[in-house]
Amino acid sequence: MDPEKAKRIWVVVAAYNEAAVIAGVVAGLTRFGYHVVVVDDGSADGTADAATGTGAAVVKHPINLGQGAALQTGIEFALADCAEFVVTFDADGQHRAADIANLIDALTEHGADFALGSRFRGQALDLPPVRRLVLKAATWFTRLTTGLAVTDTHNGFRAMTRRGASRIKLRQNRMAHASEVLHQIARSGLKFVEAPVTIEYSAYSLAKGQKLTDSLMILVDLLARRLHR
Amino acid sequence: MIAQLILTALLIIILLYAWNESKRAPAIGILSLLAALAGLYFVWFPSHATRLAELVGIGRGVDLILYVWVAISLIVLLNLHLKLRMQMELITALARELAMANARAKSTSK
Repeated sequence: MDPEKAKRIWVVVAAYNEAAVIAGVVAGLTRFGYHVVVVDDGSADGTADAATGTGAAVVKHPINLGQGAALQTGIEFALADCAEFVVTFDADGQHRAADIANLIDALTEHGADFALGSRFRGQALDLPPVRRLVLKAATWFTRLTTGLAVTDTHNGFRAMTRRGASRIKLRQNRMAHASEVLHQIARSGLKFVEAPVTIEYSAYSLAKGQKLTDSLMILVDLLARRLHR
Repeated sequence: MIAQLILTALLIIILLYAWNESKRAPAIGILSLLAALAGLYFVWFPSHATRLAELVGIGRGVDLILYVWVAISLIVLLNLHLKLRMQMELITALARELAMANARAKSTSK
């Protein structure tokens, strides 16, 4: 990617207790010339310290609020710094920095405001079968509730134009934010595309990632959110 | 008669609560309103409660009133949960503002 274009891209990395891997993840991003903001979501293991000095901007929540809250903070930080494109990227090393260029290209080629990474159009390496099944069910549920013809859901790898990012106002602090993003995209009426990405599961990312029991809490959160203004 | 008056006073408080909550959480407002109105009706027309209770297989009218009361309690519980969520949204906004301000202060001091 053209280095001038890379400078207009901000990558938001929401991190909670990721001190062991965060420096490596940031290094993988900055070598492409992207701006990176690490939002430490009240970690207890010194994640913010580990991210400081890596070339990333570091924003630290004083308390643990949840991944959705951290992403919203990162998006607002990037927008305040005149980002033209905002990318959300997991801190546990399961995303590939090289795929960001594909997401940005998808935005510009299709004139879209949102490019959603799809592991089912791309690759999901070492994805456990039960999780694959749950993700497929969640995708079906998302298609039904949002009307968006997506092939993947609860995939944190996405790119947005400045206009798209400005329309995202996450109020689901925890895991339900991934569904909320899709609801807000559907409501915005802005164009979205899917782009293939590779998600590489490791023992570390599987231990850090969502559990099957989270699915129920996500449904409760989504329902509760609809009951108040 | 005394019990009826006490229950009526309590249910009127719930009606006011429902009216107040309907602006913030319409679903809670409507549910509380319906439950309180049903409660009021059955308190003053217990024979109707007995007839309805028999119709739906509950047995006694007084049990039906008890069930309505339980329903109201559950709605109030749900509402408390929603209020906690809204409090959390406020805390989130505050924490975010603080985090951003600290980050800005750090970057300008460099």
